[in-house]
Amino acid sequence: MTHTVVNIKFWDKQSPRMKELRFILKRMKSSPLSIVGLAIVVFFTLVALLAPVLAPPQPNRNPYMIPRYGYSPTPKPPNPVNLFGTTEGQYDLYYGMIWGTRAAYQIGVLVVAISALIGIIVGGLAGYYKGVFGEVLMRVTDIVLAFPGLILAMAFVVAFGPGLNSITVALILVWWPSYARLVRGEFLRVTAEDFVEAAKAIGCSDLRVMVKHVFPNTIFPLVIMASLDIGSVVLTAAALSFLGLGAPEGYADWGQLISLSRNYITGAPGNPFAYWFAYVIPGIFLFLFVLGWNLLGDAFRDILDPMIRRR
Amino acid sequence: MKEDLEETLLENEQLKVEDLTVRFYTYEGIVKAVEKAKLSLRKGETLGVVGETGSGKSVTALTIIALTPTPGKVEGGNIYFRRGAGEVVDILALKEAALLKIRGKEISMIFQEPNAALDPLYRVEEQVAEAILAHRRAEMMQKVEALKPKALTNRSSLRYRLPVFKRFSQQKLLRRVVREEILSLLRTMEIPDPERVVDAYPHELSGGMQQRIVIAIALACSPVLLLADEPTTNLDVTVQAQILDLILRLKKAFGSSVIYITHDMGVIAEISERVAVMYAGSVVEVAPVVEIFKKPLHPYTQALLESIPRPGSPFKPLPGTVPSLVNPPSGCRFHPRCPFAMEKCKLEPPNLVEVSPEHQVACYLHTAGE
Repeated sequence: MTHTVVNIKFWDKQSPRMKELRFILKRMKSSPLSIVGLAIVVFFTLVALLAPVLAPPQPNRNPYMIPRYGYSPTPKPPNPVNLFGTTEGQYDLYYGMIWGTRAAYQIGVLVVAISALIGIIVGGLAGYYKGVFGEVLMRVTDIVLAFPGLILAMAFVVAFGPGLNSITVALILVWWPSYARLVRGEFLRVTAEDFVEAAKAIGCSDLRVMVKHVFPNTIFPLVIMASLDIGSVVLTAAALSFLGLGAPEGYADWGQLISLSRNYITGAPGNPFAYWFAYVIPGIFLFLFVLGWNLLGDAFRDILDPMIRRR
Repeated sequence: MKEDLEETLLENEQLKVEDLTVRFYTYEGIVKAVEKAKLSLRKGETLGVVGETGSGKSVTALTIIALTPTPGKVEGGNIYFRRGAGEVVDILALKEAALLKIRGKEISMIFQEPNAALDPLYRVEEQVAEAILAHRRAEMMQKVEALKPKALTNRSSLRYRLPVFKRFSQQKLLRRVVREEILSLLRTMEIPDPERVVDAYPHELSGGMQQRIVIAIALACSPVLLLADEPTTNLDVTVQAQILDLILRLKKAFGSSVIYITHDMGVIAEISERVAVMYAGSVVEVAPVVEIFKKPLHPYTQALLESIPRPGSPFKPLPGTVPSLVNPPSGCRFHPRCPFAMEKCKLEPPNLVEVSPEHQVACYLHTAGE
């Protein structure tokens, strides 16, 4: 048998994937806010990746521990040695910001990824096997959801002992139920579709139907939620750090750096903004990080959500 | 045990549904979707199943491949099925593992909405390959083995010897073999330009083309029984005729028996050899297709035939609506709409009785003597 196989290559203008990509680019171009969001996220990603170049750590030292320039409690304003100045205890703010970005990414990505994984497993099983089994899973989810997230996370951190790892675990324990709910809803929607029935009718096992046909059709809302959540996770982690439940003193962690500037927010007598750099700089980093991910998440929603997108 | 089942089917029977009862447990009550339905299908035969929406046609079909939609439960009855090798099994008594080997391989299904029956995320090639690899992997691997020596002689033979690459190369060969298989299958489906279609996503194809793909998936493993659930209802009339023609010819080529579900009497006349009429979950009449049209016995069948609009004659709709299946009428479920209803009809449902050779009906008008 000889026949010409017309293979549409991935990069051909007419290939569906390429069309989709061009559609996404068009959507992003038409909305300036999504460009801003993307730019912010790209900036932070680069900072996190290039941290050892931007702020070289001292050899044989945990790179996340901020170097100190003296022991005086009063923050020092920006100067050629300390670009962003120093905060209480003479910790270098510039170094703290750069390595803090890495710490923020670590906690944000880790918490969101593991929560999403737990959510996919629990929500997927509950959505696929309806009935008593699914109900039990969802009621467990509801119990966790019934507690105020921050308070429950605090309780967990206190129980585990303060530290960044405790914060990560505590946030995962608090965060997964919302993913379980989302995934269950999506599984309920997709399992009602005919192609799931059709897949079963050709002899696919339940596992195969779930992994190959149901899950890939639920991925868009999951991507949207995950990108919106990275910002919130980092914000919540910063809140816990601010309350003194986070990393040991001197660890490059935005929440803690804001916390260190707490005593200087009112400034010096006669000059209320004397120590502005100590709280404004970490605050701006945190603010921009959350804003960037939120804008990017919104952009994802505009692009991916079938209810909003219009061709 | 096996011998017992052997006797339940006649020599030439493919499938027998006995007293099938399916109920849906919903908040509004128990929906008695299928009540003591009886069907039998001979080898190589096309059985048309007609009935209004909600008469239990689709539920019956889905139950035959043990995929009763939730919250439905099979409450009674047997489905005897003669497997490809001749062995008779009761589908309802089989374990899930055994069912996985029957679904798609020996019984497969064509769905009503071709657009919805295909997963939007996969290309046609991947979807057809799934069916082929689910049941014919061994056969495909044999073809791969046959191809291998050729591949081994060329200068890149190392690829097939190094364990790391071996698996990868084997996967590539398998894909090539399966693709060939799919292309020849699509040619059988009379799909123009199959090389383009295999690489397309479902949304890039027309409804008729999508339905051909669905049929290709259903026939990928040459099933002995094909369940077609209104496969042409959502298609244009011209495409409908092509698809019907295709199903008829493929059925002969693959030697499958077909259960064709529809509410369109015209399609029934076109495609089936025998017809089963369902009303509110029960089979009310079974007869060869010519007899159904010439000599319908059950009042519901008569009304159904009269309600087909014809030019020149007044439109005669069937009065009343399909009864609620939560609270179905007592006795014969058709009696509230039946012009010939008797006292007896309200008390006890009539049985399906053979009144003349090949012609069974469940109505006291014709079985009064028994």
